[in-house]
Amino acid sequence: MKSNAVGTRYRVAVDIGGTFTDFVLRGSEGQLLTYKLSSTTDDYGRAIVQGLRSLSAEHGFAPEQVVEIVHGTTVGANTVLEGKGAKTALITTHGFRDVLELRRVRLAELYNMNYVRSAPLVQRRYRYEVRERINFRGDVVTPLNVEDLERALELVAKSGAESVAICLLHSYANAAHEKLVEQRAREVLPADCFVSASYRVLPEIQEYERTSTTVINAYIGPAIRRYCQRLRESLSEAGFHAPIQIMQSSGGILSIDEVLQHPAQILESGPAAGVIGAATVGIRWGEPNLLTVDMGGTTAKAALIEDGRPGKTNEYEVGAGINVSSKLVKGRGHALKLPVIDISEIGAGGGSIARVSSHATLSVGPDSAGAAPGPACYCLGGNAATLTDAMVALGYVNPRYLIGGALKISFQDAVRALQNDVAHQLNLPLLEAAHGVYTLAATTMTRAVKAVSTFRGRDPRDFTLFAFGGNGPLMAAEIASALDIKRIRIPRFAGLFSAVGLLNARMEREVSRTWLRSMEGLAYDEVEQQFRLLEADLWESCRSLERSDQMKLQRQADLRYHGQAFELTVDVLPSGADNAIRIRKAFAKEHLRTYGHGAEEDPMDLVTLRVVASLPAEAGMVEDGSGLATGEAGSSRRVYFGPHFQSVETPVLHRGALEGGIDGPLVIEEHDTTILVPPAWKAMLGSEASVILERSAK
Amino acid sequence: MSTPDPITLEVVHNALDSIADEMALVLMRTAFSPVVRDSMDYSTGFCDRHGQMVAQGLTTALHLGSFPDMMSVLCKKYAGSMRDGDLFVLNDPYGSGGMHLPDIYIVKPLFFGGSVEGYAATLVHHTDMGGITPGSTAVHATEIFQEGFRIPLMRLSDAGEENDVLLTLLAANVRVPDKVLGDIRAQIASCHGAARAFTALLARYGCTLVRQCIDRLHEISEAHMRETISALPDGTYRFEDYIDGFGVDPVPIKFCVAVAVSGDTVTVDWTGTSPQVAAAINAPGPFIRSATYVAFRCLVSARIPNTVGYMRPIHVIAPVGTIVNPRFPAACNARGIVGFRAIDTLMGALSQAAPQRVYAAGEGGATNPSIGGMHDGKPFVFTETILGSWGGRPDSDGLDGAANLAANQSNQPVETLECNAPIEIVDYALALNSSGPGKYRGGMAVRRTYRVLAESGVFTLRSDRRSHLPYGLQGGYSGTPSYTVILREGKTKMLPVLPQDKIDVQRGDVIVHVQPGGGGFGSPLERDPALVLEDVLDGRITVEYARGVYGVVVADCELDWVETIKQREVLRMDRPQGHGQLHLDHFARSFGMDAAGNVFGTALSSMH
Repeated sequence: MKSNAVGTRYRVAVDIGGTFTDFVLRGSEGQLLTYKLSSTTDDYGRAIVQGLRSLSAEHGFAPEQVVEIVHGTTVGANTVLEGKGAKTALITTHGFRDVLELRRVRLAELYNMNYVRSAPLVQRRYRYEVRERINFRGDVVTPLNVEDLERALELVAKSGAESVAICLLHSYANAAHEKLVEQRAREVLPADCFVSASYRVLPEIQEYERTSTTVINAYIGPAIRRYCQRLRESLSEAGFHAPIQIMQSSGGILSIDEVLQHPAQILESGPAAGVIGAATVGIRWGEPNLLTVDMGGTTAKAALIEDGRPGKTNEYEVGAGINVSSKLVKGRGHALKLPVIDISEIGAGGGSIARVSSHATLSVGPDSAGAAPGPACYCLGGNAATLTDAMVALGYVNPRYLIGGALKISFQDAVRALQNDVAHQLNLPLLEAAHGVYTLAATTMTRAVKAVSTFRGRDPRDFTLFAFGGNGPLMAAEIASALDIKRIRIPRFAGLFSAVGLLNARMEREVSRTWLRSMEGLAYDEVEQQFRLLEADLWESCRSLERSDQMKLQRQADLRYHGQAFELTVDVLPSGADNAIRIRKAFAKEHLRTYGHGAEEDPMDLVTLRVVASLPAEAGMVEDGSGLATGEAGSSRRVYFGPHFQSVETPVLHRGALEGGIDGPLVIEEHDTTILVPPAWKAMLGSEASVILERSAK
Repeated sequence: MSTPDPITLEVVHNALDSIADEMALVLMRTAFSPVVRDSMDYSTGFCDRHGQMVAQGLTTALHLGSFPDMMSVLCKKYAGSMRDGDLFVLNDPYGSGGMHLPDIYIVKPLFFGGSVEGYAATLVHHTDMGGITPGSTAVHATEIFQEGFRIPLMRLSDAGEENDVLLTLLAANVRVPDKVLGDIRAQIASCHGAARAFTALLARYGCTLVRQCIDRLHEISEAHMRETISALPDGTYRFEDYIDGFGVDPVPIKFCVAVAVSGDTVTVDWTGTSPQVAAAINAPGPFIRSATYVAFRCLVSARIPNTVGYMRPIHVIAPVGTIVNPRFPAACNARGIVGFRAIDTLMGALSQAAPQRVYAAGEGGATNPSIGGMHDGKPFVFTETILGSWGGRPDSDGLDGAANLAANQSNQPVETLECNAPIEIVDYALALNSSGPGKYRGGMAVRRTYRVLAESGVFTLRSDRRSHLPYGLQGGYSGTPSYTVILREGKTKMLPVLPQDKIDVQRGDVIVHVQPGGGGFGSPLERDPALVLEDVLDGRITVEYARGVYGVVVADCELDWVETIKQREVLRMDRPQGHGQLHLDHFARSFGMDAAGNVFGTALSSMH
């Protein structure tokens, strides 16, 4: 299909996952191209160049026709997980070099005598102390000791550190000492030494979280710098000179140059993209309230979107494997207190291994057979029964191949593994055992969904489930049933929807400041003044951006009742339009909604002020559904829907055949995913060729 | 009763665990006091319709084991008279199932279809309950009447009608009513959250099936514990340990346990433990049972449902009139230390039955300092828990600076603490040369130093393990002692571990506390020299210490293998002559203390 005119311009989205690198291209005439190839884990950039070359050859466009590349990457998180970051030093206040190591001392588990934590990212020997003290009001109590500083920097230089983090007590209230240390470090240390000061990374109260975040920034900084430079070079060598944008963990995009200033902001770049994509299409489809479920080979991720905005958190942790959205299970890794889309992750994916204990209890995951050796049905050396094996045995997944034939499936091997590992031990018929594995995986995912909804006071029944990822659309109906959700949306290109999401990302900047004040008797003029200062900072950093005239600013404030420690965020109206009484009301309302009580007259504290600047994305994916395959994909097969419905001969269709709506049971097979429509659910075609599932009866 | 299918069972199990965790999160986020939201000194549990605990929030183990006693009192007293919208409250250790006055339990029966199908239970350590000192943890109380406001089990809400009389009285009897009532609101919000989630679960699966699942969870939990006990060789294992005692001239308080393993059950007998004392460290019965359950629960390696099932095969004997089961009206507000020491004692006994599972003694429990008084014309109460370090383990070092397994709590951030109280934290660090040597060493001691910024105040302290050190195992040495020193106008004074006198403090006073360091596991001469080198390079131990205690010679940041082999040979010959004392000398010197035990003010800032 070489029909692309020479004048067509392309925006390219590239999402790198552990297994696959996904491409979505949008041409200026609205056409969408997709492509998937195996990730090149030794040098991720290679797959990007390879993919772009293949695409340009296949579709007949020249590299110059690519005008923008938007990129989502897990390189930051992987650097921490694999311990491959820079040799990093830390300069901190005298008496506090162990803050990084002591963390919040709490354990992420009860009753485990073999408990382990990830080692601090800066070894104790490279943490240096300087005498100085500023108090919480920002007053200098003890001036910075210059001799200490010179000695510390000498030791940093001698240690050969490639990166140095600076975090002094109460620097959020007064950064003067940190600035002195930073300035001197730049003078004294080698030019390529990465310097990161906490007042720039996170000017907020709480020393462990601020230190840890700054250290993460320093630790991954050099690796991200190398990655970005290399990516830019190899693309440029291949003739692609388009500007590269990278997704932040908070969902906005940054230019490569900005990323180099704040590397920690792209730590969770990958998972954020799908959620942003869902929020964008959700608004277009009149579905602003969504619970997203993204399930791939090893993990499942859930997020909540309300009024078209993804929930955010700054209680994040990296380096501990799976990130569950709950402060209760923090402590094993390193705290990252930057805005991150609130994604709850759980170790349940297609590769999750099913096991039966000696007391005949069944578990699925969190350990995974991954892509290699993979599920038993892949015949790549894996023997353990996995969720994918169960879905093959049940008839949910095509029993012969996946990804349009690129991956062969062995039905016999799936059945054998399940028989040995599960059915035999539970003394259950094969199909019941397989269905048990499937249900249990859905239950585990349900916990992830609850972590972002009920745990935060939101009722899942008020939301539409939005499923994507290779396995999300297979599990969606089961998860929805467990949570009594009645409506599901599955977008086009669900299997590579994270890449689609990249095309929908807005340019986004955020500045914030801890500004602790009692709301009692606070003159709103003072607040206004602070917001103006923040906005001035933001304009300064955004001035050079293209389309900066279209920039939208949103003020926000974090408040809490006097005496509480956890804040809730409320939107603040623009200059001249807001007042303290309205803010009090908004906070009380939010508190009521989240925790079941709230009173606007109770004393409140203002904690943090924030301004978010955003540039709307240029028109994203608009799919008219033309070119959709219609009709039957593989006629029909026997599919088992649990003890109640048993095995049913089930039609296997393409998405295009849904026009007008068809009652389940159905299987909808596509190149990048499979959608399961159980009995009592009905499937319809929605806007932009999305699939809508609705529960027709309880 | 029929058995639920394993799938539904697991779904319900997950749902109940989620409810208990959700309760914990809601409580933390809405709490008003730093003790709850930063230190996380609170717990949540979910109980079935008989009041039997069936899920635990990821909170504090030593609390959770006390829920069964309290629930059984409640269920007995109010059987048949509960109504939807009721809330129950208690803190009284005598007759109501409480542990000590600062811990207030609030419980909500959950109705479905007209009957009670479960209970949401919460416990919060409140900042102040009145009594003779701010923070209500004074060791020098001799009877409960001095310890604060007692709440016998009663209704906090009667079919939705709040008990204003109780709340008004409570507010009038505590020093910081806004914090106490704010935290009570958080407990109530947590219970309401549980009600919403549990109702949804029952609506989906029906009462019958959920009840069956709950019964099965109890059975599974019990079966796992029986299996764990069966794996221990039959026999009786004994161990003794001590609390140093209170006051300037302390008399040691003895803990004595006999663990009799017989098949798949065990009897844990505390006979021989010291009589109750005239200080606030007596621990009412629920606490010793809780401590006993925690120790055994830690031995179960599988992930099991945290229900009362695992407590069933464990029989506890605690003679009346001892420090672990005192007679009314013994004082008990600082009783936490008894639970920690009981677990240490029990683990010592279990180390004989399971030598490759149990680790050496850790710091021996959290230290509780409180400072209260007046500042800027307003009363303030500051109280926190300093959490320490673990003992060396059969295959790895003890954790440096980690919560005790029995009390999974958190530290208060220095920056927020300084915002909230007229106190400056001078340092918060791991102390040099402070771990118990071993093949796998104990965790390093945590040090925390306070400077008083208020005009005046009163300091209270609960600490231990200065003369009776955390024990080592399998040839590992003991951990290091705890010290608390007050520094005023250039003069230093060592405070008792459990001071019996009121300690007045004033602006400018500096209080240094260093916790005990964890005991070691295995002979220090078997420690991998490379690990010793790492500790030297990281400034955890000195070069002299490495040489003297571990026989590892480090020169110019490198191992001298030849000298190390020689030195270890020398130490092997010397060991019988009380070598185990040497690391203590090193530690004392690091702390700035001379041979006679005098502390030098100038040395106080140089040890980390």
